Amino acid sequence: MSLRVGVVGAGGFGQAIARASARHGHDVVLWSRQERSSPESIRASTAIADMKDRDLIFLAAPARHAASLADLLGEVVDGRHLIVHISRGLIGAELKTITTVLRERTAVRRLGALAGPLVADALAEGRPGGAILGTRFPEVTEMVREALGGSELRVYDTKDVIGVQLASATVGFLTVVLAYAQAAGAEPSTLAVLATRGMVEVSRIGQALGASKETFMGLAGLGDLIAAVAGDERVESRLGRAMAQGTDLVKAIAEGGEYVEGVEVAQHLLEYANRLGLETPISSVFVEVSNGRMTPDQAIRALMERRAHQE
Amino acid sequence: MLKRLFSERPLRLPHIRPYVPRPSDPSIFWFNSERGDVVSDVVNRICTAHETDRTQLEMALNDAAFHEIRRLERQRDNEARDRLGYWRSMIRRIGKMDDTEQRRVLHTIVSNMGHDVAGNFDPRVYRFARQAIPRLVAGVMEPRRLARSFSTPQFEVLGRVLKVQGDIEHLQYLQSEGSLVFVPTHSSNLDSMVLAQALEVSGLPPVVYGAGKNLFTNPIISFFMHNLGAYRVDRRIRVQLYKEVLKLYSQVMIERGYHSLFFPGGTRSRSGMIERHLKLGLLGSAVEAFTTNRVRRVDRPVWFVPTTINYALVLEAETLIRDWLTEEGKARYIIEDDEFSRIDRWFAFFRKVVGMRGACIVRFGKPIDPFGNLIDDKGASLSPAGHTIDPGGYVERRGTPVVDAARDAAYTRELGTVLAERYERDTVLMSTHVVGHVLFRHLVQATPGMDLFARLRLRGEISIDREVVRKDLGDARDRLVALESKGEVLISDVVREDTPDHLLERSLKFWNGYHDSTAASLEDDRVVLHDPSLLLYYQNRLVSFAERIADAEQMPAACEIEALGVHR
Repeated sequence: MSLRVGVVGAGGFGQAIARASARHGHDVVLWSRQERSSPESIRASTAIADMKDRDLIFLAAPARHAASLADLLGEVVDGRHLIVHISRGLIGAELKTITTVLRERTAVRRLGALAGPLVADALAEGRPGGAILGTRFPEVTEMVREALGGSELRVYDTKDVIGVQLASATVGFLTVVLAYAQAAGAEPSTLAVLATRGMVEVSRIGQALGASKETFMGLAGLGDLIAAVAGDERVESRLGRAMAQGTDLVKAIAEGGEYVEGVEVAQHLLEYANRLGLETPISSVFVEVSNGRMTPDQAIRALMERRAHQE
Repeated sequence: MLKRLFSERPLRLPHIRPYVPRPSDPSIFWFNSERGDVVSDVVNRICTAHETDRTQLEMALNDAAFHEIRRLERQRDNEARDRLGYWRSMIRRIGKMDDTEQRRVLHTIVSNMGHDVAGNFDPRVYRFARQAIPRLVAGVMEPRRLARSFSTPQFEVLGRVLKVQGDIEHLQYLQSEGSLVFVPTHSSNLDSMVLAQALEVSGLPPVVYGAGKNLFTNPIISFFMHNLGAYRVDRRIRVQLYKEVLKLYSQVMIERGYHSLFFPGGTRSRSGMIERHLKLGLLGSAVEAFTTNRVRRVDRPVWFVPTTINYALVLEAETLIRDWLTEEGKARYIIEDDEFSRIDRWFAFFRKVVGMRGACIVRFGKPIDPFGNLIDDKGASLSPAGHTIDPGGYVERRGTPVVDAARDAAYTRELGTVLAERYERDTVLMSTHVVGHVLFRHLVQATPGMDLFARLRLRGEISIDREVVRKDLGDARDRLVALESKGEVLISDVVREDTPDHLLERSLKFWNGYHDSTAASLEDDRVVLHDPSLLLYYQNRLVSFAERIADAEQMPAACEIEALGVHR
């Protein structure tokens, strides 16, 4: 039975999801604020009311738009709908997840967060890949698998909804760090230490926020980070490289040409961790470097001079 | 012999002239005529669910026998003598039984459990209780007025001590339109009685609720509980089937439109903090009741009423905080030897609170549907955008309502989160909470770097200038008033209106002379802290507001205090 799929946001990921669903034979509406053309199999729309009769809605927009889009959706959706978002960001100093925002601003309860080493082009063209879906509702998993799954995309699921979103957001930040280090000439072994200890660091904060450690070690965390290091050319990597070349953060973002969610997350993450008294050497050094208060050499020295302890 | 009769089988009055309910009577007045039907509905549903799969059925029987044998071997009482033989012989035969016999045994076990759990409702007992109990309580509180309180219908004493807040008219309307599920915070064993009284004075109908079997051991309490619709919950029984019976009993009652009460905290808050992690079992039964009705095309709404019960003085405070501070105490459900079981403590407690206006505030919060949505005057669910929505949509799958246990479990979890948020917003902070906090914060400030347990051992060693306490209390109050105007917190009239001096004196008067140890005292112009754990207990109620009511100097101490509540 074909599904009625709605996609909110016609950026790279929005279009990829729409194309993947249409390829599986579903009836797809792609919503965006501005009118834009779309392939024949996808109905483009600028009227949010077109989401009303959808079985499953994907929200594919950066975290900073989540609240306003949730308000817009809130006008037309109710308890019958299922919403899955795909965004790497967290909102505000309290590190609010997108599912929380959707929960607060719409009547929808059957929510999910799609993350992992997803690449828009691969998804659109049906190249093999995998993803992780954080949801407490089996129906959401079933429907996402029906909409996107099959032989091209393996969709794993977990009940750790908050963990998936925190892992995904913090991988964004770690990707910047690793790309920076790589461009600054760090050896593979240095990169491995940075990646592994960075993962431990963010998972420590994640656990304080209620996430499970396993999620960070799975597709949403480590899996996604491996894809980034292996060179899936995401915006965070470009930003990291630009920073290593000595451009300051604002310029580097402009050079990246896109909004990078990872940097804002790092700042908020650090504030939160400090409040709880958690150890966060890598995030602290990264924030210092990105604000120009520390040079790359000083950063590496600061990290290396720390006393190593039992892993 | 007589004692056994009382404690094991609750007494009922003979039915000479059975009461015929009138249409205007609350739903519970019909309960006795439906009782058998309710129990057989519960039994049939459980048996049907287990009968289809022999492995599952065998597992259920084995689980029942195993846990019952273990329990009875430990109990070594009359029940053990009567029942141990049965279970021992059964566990040996399970594997050899054919399908029919296994089903028969399952039916017998579940049926026995169902009858043991089911309550009774006797309108005569209800009438007697609603008139006599407030007078008795009033009499205990003020013996001088005992005679007068029996001769006048004015329960002014109770009215002075117990304040009820909330939109009562809305609840009165809703009770005739659907099933209400009251879900209060839980601080004391007095809660169910206080709530019953709050419902009574608000003109709301009596509710069905599960009471621990330990409360039924006293023949008088047992008689009232049993005949006022309470069902019995034996927490010693670990059998999975028994848990299913309890949950389904609650579910069937809600499906049939009986108003219910349960404490989602599961057990009294040991720390004194507002509950954050809620037990989802019974909450789930109410969500599933809604689903089942929808699938059967019965349009009977279920609404939850988040309720906070706020005491300026808690009967069992000392035992509870001691229990929280000892690690192993956290998991204990029943404290056999606490203040609740000591009549002299009751007497002292009531004597103490009677002189203080507004010692207890019951606040009925805004009702919500099973999915956490607020509702309008007529009970229609509202989306955050303010549109009317059909709650039935939540249980639909592509347009058809379906039963889905995993989905409903997820909804229940969501509901638990909403309730925890509501508790925080609907808790009314009382004078003792604020004073407890200001004094405890001083203790933390005065002992930087010290751990909690070392601080709790500082008895009488820390004292504070009264003038400083006065100023800090005034500041804390002002900040609370500001937070209240933003809708972040609620404070009692006393906290809002009394002078800091009065707040301090009032709290000391509450604590000292009732609790075994002195919490704090006034000596010359200094406030001496004697029992930090009592102060901790009372201040724990506002632990999540600590940072919001501190100034820069107090902030490190406030952060430390707030961290106490982070991993609760």
